[in-house]
Amino acid sequence: MPNDHKPEIGSTIVIQKETFNAILSRLKEKGYETIGPRVKNDTLIYAPIEQMDDLPRGYITEQDAARFHLKHTGHSRYFDAIPGAQSWKQFLFPPRAELFALRKVNNLWEASTPETKTPSYAFIGVRACELAAIQIQDNIFMRSDFNDPIYRARRERVFILTVDCMYPAGTCFCVSMETGPRVKAGFDLNLTELEDVFLLTVGSEIARDLLKGIPFELASAFLLRNADQGLERAASQMGRKLDISNLPDLILNNLDHPHWQEVGARCLSCTNCTQVCPTCFCWDATDEMSLDGKETHRERVWDSCFNPGYSYQAGGNTRPTIRSRYRQWLSHKLGTWKQQNGTLGCVGCGRCITWCPAEIDLTKEIPMLQEEAR
Amino acid sequence: MVTQQIARPAAINTEHLLEPQWAEVTSITKEINDVSTYWLKFTDPAIQKAYTFEPGQFNMLYMPGFGESAISICSDSNDHSKIGHSVRFVGNVTNAIGRLKVGDVIGLRGPFGTYWPMKELEGKDVFISCGGIGLPPLRPAIYHILHNREKYGKVTLLYGARTPADLMYTNEFDDWRKANIDVQVTVDRGDSSWTGRVGVVPMWFYQFRFDSRKTAVLTCGPEIMIHFVIYEALARRIPLESIFVSMERNMKCGQGSCGHCQLGPYFICKDGPVFRFDAIQPFFNVEEF
Amino acid sequence: MSDVLQETFKELQKIPWFQELEKKHLEKLASVTALRHVRADEVLFHEGDKEDCLYIVLSGRIALEIFIPHRGKIRIYTVEPQDVFGWSSVTPVVHQRTAGATAVVDGLIACIDSEKLRKICEEDHDLGYMVMRRLANVVASRLLVTRLQLLDMFAHPESQNAK
Ligand SMILES: Cc1cc2nc3c(=O)[nH]c(=O)nc-3n(C[C@H](O)[C@H](O)[C@H](O)COP(=O)(O)OP(=O)(O)OC[C@H]3O[C@@H](n4cnc5c(N)ncnc54)[C@H](O)[C@@H]3O)c2cc1C
Ligand code: SF4
Ligand code: SF4
Repeated sequence: MPNDHKPEIGSTIVIQKETFNAILSRLKEKGYETIGPRVKNDTLIYAPIEQMDDLPRGYITEQDAARFHLKHTGHSRYFDAIPGAQSWKQFLFPPRAELFALRKVNNLWEASTPETKTPSYAFIGVRACELAAIQIQDNIFMRSDFNDPIYRARRERVFILTVDCMYPAGTCFCVSMETGPRVKAGFDLNLTELEDVFLLTVGSEIARDLLKGIPFELASAFLLRNADQGLERAASQMGRKLDISNLPDLILNNLDHPHWQEVGARCLSCTNCTQVCPTCFCWDATDEMSLDGKETHRERVWDSCFNPGYSYQAGGNTRPTIRSRYRQWLSHKLGTWKQQNGTLGCVGCGRCITWCPAEIDLTKEIPMLQEEAR
Repeated sequence: MVTQQIARPAAINTEHLLEPQWAEVTSITKEINDVSTYWLKFTDPAIQKAYTFEPGQFNMLYMPGFGESAISICSDSNDHSKIGHSVRFVGNVTNAIGRLKVGDVIGLRGPFGTYWPMKELEGKDVFISCGGIGLPPLRPAIYHILHNREKYGKVTLLYGARTPADLMYTNEFDDWRKANIDVQVTVDRGDSSWTGRVGVVPMWFYQFRFDSRKTAVLTCGPEIMIHFVIYEALARRIPLESIFVSMERNMKCGQGSCGHCQLGPYFICKDGPVFRFDAIQPFFNVEEF
Repeated sequence: MSDVLQETFKELQKIPWFQELEKKHLEKLASVTALRHVRADEVLFHEGDKEDCLYIVLSGRIALEIFIPHRGKIRIYTVEPQDVFGWSSVTPVVHQRTAGATAVVDGLIACIDSEKLRKICEEDHDLGYMVMRRLANVVASRLLVTRLQLLDMFAHPESQNAK
């Protein structure tokens, strides 16, 4: 095989698993910061990875409402562990971002914003639901009439390596949300992990170049069928499901439903669900001023519709009760989001279920509106 | 949406999120006890020249170290020499604005939002019904009518405040009346020295004859007042499509990104603040929405 | 019809809700009504006075006021042309004025003798229904005004948060 041989876009190749280390090194050589799932403090986070050994090989996660357990079962696969609380959102839409700094000179304010270098990330192991979430946030931050320069700069540079999900967790419902478990489009490289080999589907020119000279063969029909079967099995093993056929109407027609009161009484307004959700995008801007009042830093930080301060304005709080804040969250996520962006705001990743300390589970709350609405 | 945003707002930085343009306070008019009008001029003359807005739009005013507030533009959109903001001192940012002196600078981004459909209203009777700090966003609409008086039919301003001392812009009412605008004022409570009306804005509707097919109602003020104004307008068979409302919510960006100002599917900062009532009616009576 | 009655009849006819009345009913009403010119600052009645009339403002402006010891007179409502005041005189229970009324500017008011009004309404329930229906409207709208005033919708947010 000639050394500059490159696979075609859309083709699926098969590589030996150890070859993957070469791909990681090449990404680093090209200046990417390679980020992937890692085990830390008994949980799974997204952090820089140097090599395949950093991946959570042999682990799975057991997830249920208010329950997350990382377990080592000793299997031989690298990408089986369904992610924890963190998502890729924190890299494209950082929880804190300095917007500008100002210094008072005479009676005027001068910008003294430090030059920052925009990182180029390579995301290793983005799941179908997570890719869908990134695409949803693209619609939020890169609209025709508004461009978030921070998000856009990072998004334009990112390299996305997705993985097909073979072993969903107990809180997953991507099948219901039509986002997974199979990755469809929008990746640079998609990886399907079989027992002994990786299948890689090429999605971009950058990925093609990256693979130049790496030993590969086109995936055989047998291997492709193997992958399909794995994905079909995964689709049948979703831990949760949600009927979205009558959304958003079901919610919008039931804004006064007594069930909101019931959930409102259980919800702690802790904001966990919004912080772990890969699509939630609300933010606040804060100033930090020096003691002498001559310098100030303006930062953008994540906010949450569950924060009481979120809806304060002259005249009082628009949503003073937890009931109204929970309703805002869910009616946005699975309701008005559709009118705003054409899709629902939930991808079925299950994080908000796993990480809600009050075991509030949107796949159970929505049907409550459904039942009594009849 | 009913109304469109203007194409290229002059004072919005697309490279640096939230970074404002700077404007100098050229004068300050004390309106009432807790409201003053700040007259601003961009420090960069090119921006001052390029800056235009439509009646009903707002700016984000930035006080370094304190933050930003959405404040309606209350001045004449034909006057390109200065921009007016009537600010009510209620909290962190607005109280900081209250400490500004002539010659100080303030950050400004804008203009943002939808505006009163002055073009669409041509040929119609215009019934403006507002209360308290709801008058400033309507004043540019009134100025627009003054400049184009012949294009509008009967024009009525029904304006309410808490007490006579809380009425704003009273020194201009005579000019408005001279231009054949019927200015009617009411207060919630008065003393014996007040010879005007006592009662609430929505209750005075019965005094006016409406030609419901050619009347448009514009309203802004406390949300509860808006509710009753709309009930009265609907009772007089003014169609939903002829009622325009300016809404208010907490907002951080003005560009439909931060999420704060949502009302159902709308971002008040970009789909509003001015809405045609039929657009927001489904959410209007949902408590705490 | 006498001249006075004729004039009264004409004035009443201008009021939109009277236009719904049959002519004979309007005539009956006119027969128990007197027109009265009032001057600015003229006191029509005090709080606590015995009730005797229901009033309709034809022109001018009448202020309803309550005197609060140590705070003085508070103007709670002004009655504008075509609006009614003194409506409690038509109810069978309340017999004292619950607020005082003072003319703010010169004007003309129609004073309907409440006792006679009650009587003609008793005699002719069709007329009685129309009158009571109108009064129910007036009472409902006063109640709404009172509610909105109670809400103190323009209050400074700080003072509202303090509540
Ligand atoms: C489109 C639009 C146009 C507007 N036009 C005008 C205008 O022309 N003029 C004008 O004066 N205003 C206008 N406003 C309102 C103005 O934006 C707000 O009054 C202003 O943002 C308040 O900011 P602040 O920082 O001064 O007050 P904040 O400090 O934010 O306080 C506002 C209120 O909320 C309360 N509050 C805030 N946070 C909390 C908390 N955590 N807990 C308890 N209470 C809290 C405060 O006590 C206060 O009552 C407009 C708003 C919008 C959306
Ligand atoms: S709402 Fe919950 S399940 Fe849906 S995307 Fe957000 S965190 Fe995942
Ligand atoms: S729903 Fe659960 S996670 Fe979300 S704010 Fe309420 S208690 Fe917290």
